[in-house]
Amino acid sequence: MVEADDRVLLDWDALEVGETFEKYEYVLTQEMIDTYRKGVMDTEAGFPTVSHKVDVKQYNARYRDDGSVNARCAFYCYGPPLPGKRLTVTAWIADKYLRRGKNFIVTEAISVDEDGRLIDRVITHELKQPSEVGKKWGG
Amino acid sequence: MGGLERNYQIGDDVPSLVKQVTQEAINLFEASAGQTGPSQFTDEETARETLGTTGTVASGRMSVTFAIEMLRKYFGGDVFNHTGMVDLRFLRPVRPGDTITFSGKITDISREANGSKVSVEIKVQNQKGDTTGVGKGSATVPNAYLPAEE
Repeated sequence: MVEADDRVLLDWDALEVGETFEKYEYVLTQEMIDTYRKGVMDTEAGFPTVSHKVDVKQYNARYRDDGSVNARCAFYCYGPPLPGKRLTVTAWIADKYLRRGKNFIVTEAISVDEDGRLIDRVITHELKQPSEVGKKWGG
Repeated sequence: MGGLERNYQIGDDVPSLVKQVTQEAINLFEASAGQTGPSQFTDEETARETLGTTGTVASGRMSVTFAIEMLRKYFGGDVFNHTGMVDLRFLRPVRPGDTITFSGKITDISREANGSKVSVEIKVQNQKGDTTGVGKGSATVPNAYLPAEE
């Protein structure tokens, strides 16, 4: 049975900078860390949180759109997360802008673990017309 | 303290980092966060529908991870994992089969309240010499690690 998609269709013009999403929580397991380190070919990679894309997780839970392409990403390291700890993410719409006729949304998120340790901060600029990639770079 | 001493100069090159991006690596990166369904990163048809490309692409966040690795190895995990940052703009897609090289050069060193902030410009190129990403990174190195000022 297909579940109904009750997400809101994105209205870029109406989207408010500063909109803050419900907190997102997850437990970072040793298996997640091991899989991440294997994928990035770095046995000491300290921030497996990168792959969780937590800054857009709650955006994607609230809105539906035509997809997106990551145009820019900043990542701030404060302390590597520990396996088995519950992480709480606060994410919000940090900015939006129109450039060369294309719409961008900037999301930002901060992760904190269950002991109150600050883990990281991520800021992502997403182009909301992903088909531009194929138009510009072809196959 | 001698064993801790590190020296940074504007213009210094950061040792480069080379990564071979495979579809398996992309799949593991996505799966590590529980993202196992088809996506533009893991499924050619989804990539064609969403991006208009004939094949999958790597998430820009993989490049972020690799830039973090390059700078962590340069500054040391004790410094970079607590004060480091990277900020990359993605100029071209990175695809499975690409070999990408990350390079960096120190552009600025400034005194901060908690040490000296060492700033690095970052460039990412694929095996064809095309630039796939540019940006910057930094770490704040405790002054105790640096040579004494004259």
